[in-house]
Formats: sequence, structure tokens, C-alpha cells
Amino acid sequence: MTALAEPARSSRLGLGSRAWRFAKLHALTVYALAVVVYLMLPIAVVILFSFNAPKGRFNYVWQGFTLDNWVNWNSILGIQDAVVTSLEVGLLATVVATVLGTLIAMAIVRHHFVGRSTTNLIVFLPMSTPEIVLGASLLTLFLNTTAVFQLGFVTIFIAHVMFIVSFVVVTVKARLIGFDRHLEEAAMDLGANELTTFRKVTLPLIAPAMLAASLLGFALSIDDFVITYLNSGSTQTFPIFVWGAARVSVPPQINVVASAIFLIAIALALGNVFWEYRSARRTQGAT
Amino acid sequence: MNPRLTRQELLRRGAAGGALLAFPSLLAACGGGGGDESSGELKDVLNFANWELYIDTKKPTTLQQFTEQTGIKVNYYEDIDDNATYFAKVQGPLRQGQGIDRDIFIFTDNSRFPSLLIDQGWVQQIDKSLIPNMSNLIDAQAHPPFDPDRDYSLPWFSGMTGIAWNKKLTKPVTTMEQFFTDPSLKGKVSMLLELADSVGLTMLSNGDDPTTVTSETFDKAMSTIGDAVDSGQIRKFYGNSYTGPLANGDLAAAIAWSGDVKQLQADNPDLEWSLPESGGMIWTDNMLIPTGGSVPTASTYMNFVYDPDIAAQIALGAPYISSVNGVKEAAEKIDPAAADNPYIFPSEETLSNVYQYDSAALNNDDFITTWQGVTGQ
Amino acid sequence: MGTFFHRNRGLTPYLLLLPGVLWLSLFFLVPLGFLGYQSLQSGIYPNFEFTWEFSNFSDAFSNYHEQLFRSFLYAGIATAVCLVLAYPLVYWIAFRAGPWRNLFLLAIVAPFFVTYLVRTLAWLNILADQGPVVELLRDIHVLGEDGRLLATTFAVVSGIAYNFFPFMALPIYVSLEQIDERMLEAAKDLYASSTQAFLRVTLPLSAPGIVAGTLLTFIPAAGDFINAALLGTPKQSMVGNVIQAKFLESLDYPTAASLSFILMGIILVGLLVYARVVGAERLTG
Repeated sequence: MTALAEPARSSRLGLGSRAWRFAKLHALTVYALAVVVYLMLPIAVVILFSFNAPKGRFNYVWQGFTLDNWVNWNSILGIQDAVVTSLEVGLLATVVATVLGTLIAMAIVRHHFVGRSTTNLIVFLPMSTPEIVLGASLLTLFLNTTAVFQLGFVTIFIAHVMFIVSFVVVTVKARLIGFDRHLEEAAMDLGANELTTFRKVTLPLIAPAMLAASLLGFALSIDDFVITYLNSGSTQTFPIFVWGAARVSVPPQINVVASAIFLIAIALALGNVFWEYRSARRTQGAT
Repeated sequence: MNPRLTRQELLRRGAAGGALLAFPSLLAACGGGGGDESSGELKDVLNFANWELYIDTKKPTTLQQFTEQTGIKVNYYEDIDDNATYFAKVQGPLRQGQGIDRDIFIFTDNSRFPSLLIDQGWVQQIDKSLIPNMSNLIDAQAHPPFDPDRDYSLPWFSGMTGIAWNKKLTKPVTTMEQFFTDPSLKGKVSMLLELADSVGLTMLSNGDDPTTVTSETFDKAMSTIGDAVDSGQIRKFYGNSYTGPLANGDLAAAIAWSGDVKQLQADNPDLEWSLPESGGMIWTDNMLIPTGGSVPTASTYMNFVYDPDIAAQIALGAPYISSVNGVKEAAEKIDPAAADNPYIFPSEETLSNVYQYDSAALNNDDFITTWQGVTGQ
Repeated sequence: MGTFFHRNRGLTPYLLLLPGVLWLSLFFLVPLGFLGYQSLQSGIYPNFEFTWEFSNFSDAFSNYHEQLFRSFLYAGIATAVCLVLAYPLVYWIAFRAGPWRNLFLLAIVAPFFVTYLVRTLAWLNILADQGPVVELLRDIHVLGEDGRLLATTFAVVSGIAYNFFPFMALPIYVSLEQIDERMLEAAKDLYASSTQAFLRVTLPLSAPGIVAGTLLTFIPAAGDFINAALLGTPKQSMVGNVIQAKFLESLDYPTAASLSFILMGIILVGLLVYARVVGAERLTG
């Protein structure tokens, strides 16, 4: 019995283990794709319902296709102002935060100075503080200095710069660390002063990192709800507008704006992926 | 005629109160076609903060008619979800003497906020000289405790608090006991964030009197509600925003205001509303003019809505109880069946079964803090 | 200008730092001071007085320890869920996705491009009691006749996990991507079993990514209130909800401020412990 069973079992095992390996390989793929579907599901719902034509007040149930929401995206009172405010805050705060953050990153990476680790800590702390605490502490500052600060556009701007700076520092720092100082030294040897060297050599080299940092900053700013909610007074950014609407009824126009932001961001990102792919091919071709 | 009324003059005249009604020329200056008459302070836009489902929507809407008549455009914002949250939102600027970019906002008399706003000086006196239609205000509403002479406020609507349910999801919910304990409703009911509404209904069902609140009856109500929260019976506490989940079936029943459900039937025809057997609550929402709002513009609008014909149209669109004399007749002209609408013209029997929350208990800090704890705030 | 920089090299770093650090000090450190000041006040709105009211802290803790505990519990579960979902996915992207890598990476960050509140509201749509998902689950008896997903702990935790997923996935991906595939080949030769190779080589090498991802997910999750507010009930209320409501609804600033401090304190202590365990450099980079 055993003699007969042995070879059969071992061959089955061989087959089985091959099948097991095969399944394992595909199980991972299936699992990965399932997670991707999970990530995409709400996005699909948001975009789908931007084309809904609700009969009553609520955009919950699919009731028919229409383009009206896209054409009349700003027909809801206040939505356009909110989007404009979001864009203004986002642009302003990003520019300021990118400059401030890049300067800090340069100081930290390039120089050894007393207080370097304290600086590191000051940069790191805001990122490790929950948004609600960041927002709340700023609010207490503004509440106690009402003679100087009135809640509104300015306070939103201040808050956004504050929480973007740290992210800029981290992003630019990463680029600066892997950066060849010999290029700058060569420029200085050739007679360029520090400012010229910065303008002609350093800046072009860290520009991609600054761009990446500012894109991240802009994304953080335009999406921020918690800190803005606490410090906005009666000024509305797009997320604040959504919160107000969510308490009443979410009109499909909100889905339109959210979908538009999403599609623009994805188009930019895809463009970037394509561009990297092309330049990678080009360098490959060159070598 | 005095075409250049300054703000100070207007305010002074407003303060002079009823005596001004004797100067019809003034009324003419700003009453009808004031938009093109530059009175200095009369604006061509009115920013109006109101609650959800609280105005007519059938075209031409009363807002459109107002613009047609006066040239004043109305930005109508559904800003207010519940009294406390909206107050918290606007108090910052008001406290600093700044405007909030609104000319009219609305607070309920069963919250502590109308009297708080008046006491703090964060609202402005209405200009009665611009509101000749104020004579249509019903007597019952002429002398509320928070504003005895109606110097600052005028009623928008009154309404009742009862139970709404979705008849596809549950049998009729007619008692608070059923609301709190029926296992088939577990996790499918919501209460209101408004203390007076939720606590009032609970007191009535506990056999207590919500018109004179004691800490004993209050605690009893708290433990009833607290138990229902702990058991998972109550899904959530909402402001006006219970309407969405109620309409889409996430809620089988909700503590709800009388006029909302009729309007929600456009979204969900299965919704019903009634007072619980132990009785319901009644309250009145009041228009007020916040600091920075334009008194002449706001007063002009108040005058407009105190015309019975206009008030009738608004009430037919949002079926609540109007405080304007002559609405019934005006409504019947538009729709002969209107007189039987129990939401707009509740019967004597209904009115004998609704109660006003004890106004002396509204400012009790302990009650407020306890209530915030129960509602998860 | 140029010579100025040359002559004062010692000053340069401070000049570079000045604007940014000033901003962070004024609008991050100073506000923390004000938060402390507010947390020791007493009285009720609108009249607060500074009275060294230390009992605010003990009161806040004893009244809201449930919400505090819940915040860390939910954040912990959500972080674990993110890890379980993210690791296989980014592993697959890093080693199996081939030319599609960047596209799938984009899929990971895609939710970020949809406004936070809007994507959370989308879950409200998807999980609705009368929606297709719940109906399907009822039909196949995963949920009872009256079962629901919305307004449950499940909804809140999965909402948090969904919203902070990219924070977990991206750092792990970065650490996996840096692994030299030849090392994996060598490991497979040595350990023979791919499971062994994974446990002894891949996993340890991706540990920095896991550390970073866990922190980046856990910290914001612990302070979140949007998911509990939109997808939960008062029974799922987290400390963020209390702080938010105390500040913006009930105007009880002292309690809100002391709760904020308690939350931040617990997180900082946790961070310090964590830093001891995994090494500080890994945390501050």
C-alpha cells in the first residue's frame, strides 16, 4: 500500500506545489488589483454622480444622465467664490511656503551651525501634530489677538503656509542631499560669486524638487479642511463649502468641481509620467 | 420726500418706534421702489441666511417677486443647520463688531440665542417705519419675552416638533416610547441637536411638563435619551440635516419639524409626520438683523413678507405656521384646499397638544453642558 | 551682496533660516503657548478668565477618556488595515507591475486628488442603507435583514483607512523600490524558500518604509473627526469630534484647549517611545 501510494503522492505534491505557486503568484495580482478597485470606487462614484439629474434635493440615487451640472457648475450660490478663494489661497501659500521651505532646507543640508537639530525639530513637529491641534492652537492665537487678526482670508493663508513649509523642507532636503557639490565648487573656482553660483547652478538643479514640493503644497492646501475650518471665520474655501453643503444637501455641482480638480491633477500627473518615460528612453538611447 | 436719508437718521427714526408710522412720506421713500432711490444705506443686494426647506420654490418665487418689485437682488443662503452651531460660527466677527456679510439671519425662540444676541448688542433694531405691514403681526406674537416690543425681531415661521417616519421601513411611529425602544427601529432613528425640541418631547413622554423644567425632570429626560444612545437605538443627532438621511432611507424615523416632511415627499413619497401621542413642541423662528447688515434693506424685505399675499405663497411652499394676519384668506385665493392644510393651519385640537419649552431653562449652563455630553459633543 | 555673504559665512545659515523659522515660531510655537494659556482658563462663553485652572485637564480627561481611547483604537486598527492592504499592493507594484508601475502608483495617490470631504461623502453614497452594496450583502446573508454598514464602527474605521491609505503605501513603496533585485536572487539561492527570503531580506529592508508609513497614517488618523462625523454615530465619536465641537459649537475653549494638549501629549510620548525603539534618525530623516 505504502509503496504504491508514495510515488503518486509525491507527483501530486509536485503538481500541487506548482499549482500552489501559480495560485500564489496570481493571488497577489488579484489582491493588488482588488485593492486598486477599492481605491478607485469612491472616485468613480464622485465622477458618475456629477452627471446625475436628481429630481428632488438629494444627489443619492441615480436618476438620469445630464451635462447640465457641468455646464452650470457655478449656478449654486457661493460655490464659485469658494473655488476662487481655494485657488487664491493655494497659489499664494504655496509660493511663500516653497521659498521659506527651500531656504530652510538649504541651511540644514549645506551648513553646520549651532541650533541645527533644534531647527530640524521645529520643522518636524508640525508634521507630527494632528491637524486638529494645529488648527486649534492657531485659533487660540487669533482669538486672543483679535486686534491684529480677524478670521478670514489672511488667517487661512497664514495657516496654510505654516503646514506646507515642513513638507517643502522634507522634499527639497531629499534632493539637496543627493546633490553634487563639485558643480558649485567648479563654478566658484571659475570666478562666480555665491549668488551667481546659486542662480546659475544650484537653482536649476533643485528646481525640479521645488516644483514637486510646490505641487504637493498646492495639493495639501486645496484639500485642507480641518485647519481651515477652525480658522476661516466666514470665508469659504471649497472644502468648507462642501462641509456646509453636506449638512444640507450635496448638489451635483460639488461633484463637478471635485471631478474637475481630480481630472486636471491626473492629466498633469500622466503628462509627467509620460515625460519621464520619454526622457528615460532618450537617455537610454544616448548611452 | 427726503431722498438722502442717512443711516443715522434712519436708526434714530427706527428708535422712535411706532410714532414713525405717522410719517407716510418716509415709508414711500424706501418702501416700494427704493432700489433706485439712493438712500445711502439701502443696498441693491440682500444677503439672507435661512434654514433648509424654509421658503417657497415654485416660480415665480417670492424672492423673484421681491427683486421685481424693489430691484433688490436676494442672495438666499441655507446657512443654518442648528441654532448653536450657527451662532458659534457667527459670534467671532459679531463679537469684534464686524459684520458677517448677512443682512438677515434667523434664530429660534426656544434657544438662548435671540436674547443673547440682543443683550450683547450684536443685532440691530429693525426700522419699523419701513415695515407698515407689521400691523399684520398676530397678537400672540407681539410681545415675546426676549424682545417685548418687537424692536429687533419679527417671526419668520412657527412650527411644531414631532416624529417623521418612512412607511416603507416601519409601521407608524406614534409614541416616543416606541421611538426609544422598538427593536425594529434600532440604529435607524435620529433626534435633533436642539435641546428644547428633543428634551421637550422626551419630557412629555415621561409625563413631565416641558413648560416648567426642573433639574429632576431634566435629568430624567437625559437618562431616557442617554439609554437610547447607549443601546444604539439613536443613530445620530442632527440639525436640519436629518432631511437627507430620512429621504434616502438611512433613517426609518426622526424627530422632525412639521413642515419639512411635506417638502421631502418630492424625494421620498413614503414619508409621514405626526405629533407623538404624549404631545409635541411648538416654537417660533425669528428674523434678526446682525451687526453690519443693512437695516433699510432688511426692513424692506420684512415688510414685503408681512404682506398676507406674499406670506401665503411662502407658507404654501414651506408648510409652516405664519404669524401674519390674513394669510388664510390669501392662501384660499391661491388654493381653495389650503385652509385644510394642518401644517399651515393646525386645528385647535392639535394646538392644544403642543407646548412651548420653558424659556427660563434655556440659559441653564448645566443643562447645556449635559446635553452636549449626551449628543456626543 | 556677494562679498557680504563671503565675509559672513557664519551668518548665512541663520539668514536662510530666518523667514521660515520665524513663520513656524510665530504660527506654530507661539500658538501652542496660547493654547496652553487658554487651557488654564475658567468661566463660560463669552467671559473667560486666566486662573491656572489645572482641573481643566483632569476634568477633560475624566469626561472624555472614552473618546480618547477610541481615537487611538480606531487609528490603530485603521493603520493595521492600511498596512495589510498596502504592503502586498506596493510589493506587487515594485516587483511585478513592470512597465505599468507608474500608472499603479498614480492609482495609489489618485484619491488625494479628490477633495477629502467629497470622497468621504462618496462612501456615504456607497454604504447607504438602501444602496446596492448593503442590499447585496443582505441578499447573501453577510448582513442580517436589518443589518447596515453606515453609522457603524466599521464605516468609521474603513473611512479612516481609505483616507490615509496613500500615507502608508508610498513610504513602503519607496523602501521596496530601493531593494536591489540581485539581493533577492542571492537570498533565494541561500534560503531556498521564497517565504524565507521575504522574511529575512525583503521585510527587514522595507522596515523604514513601514515605520514611516505607520506614523504618517496613525498620527492624522488619531486626530481625525470627519470620518466619525459623517460615517459614525455619537457612539463612534472620537476626540477630534469633541475638540472640534467644543471650539466651534459649544464655545467651551478651555476644555477644547486642554483636550488638544492631552491628545498632542499622548502622541508625542508615543513618538518618543517609538523613536527609542526604531532609532531617532529614521523619524526626523
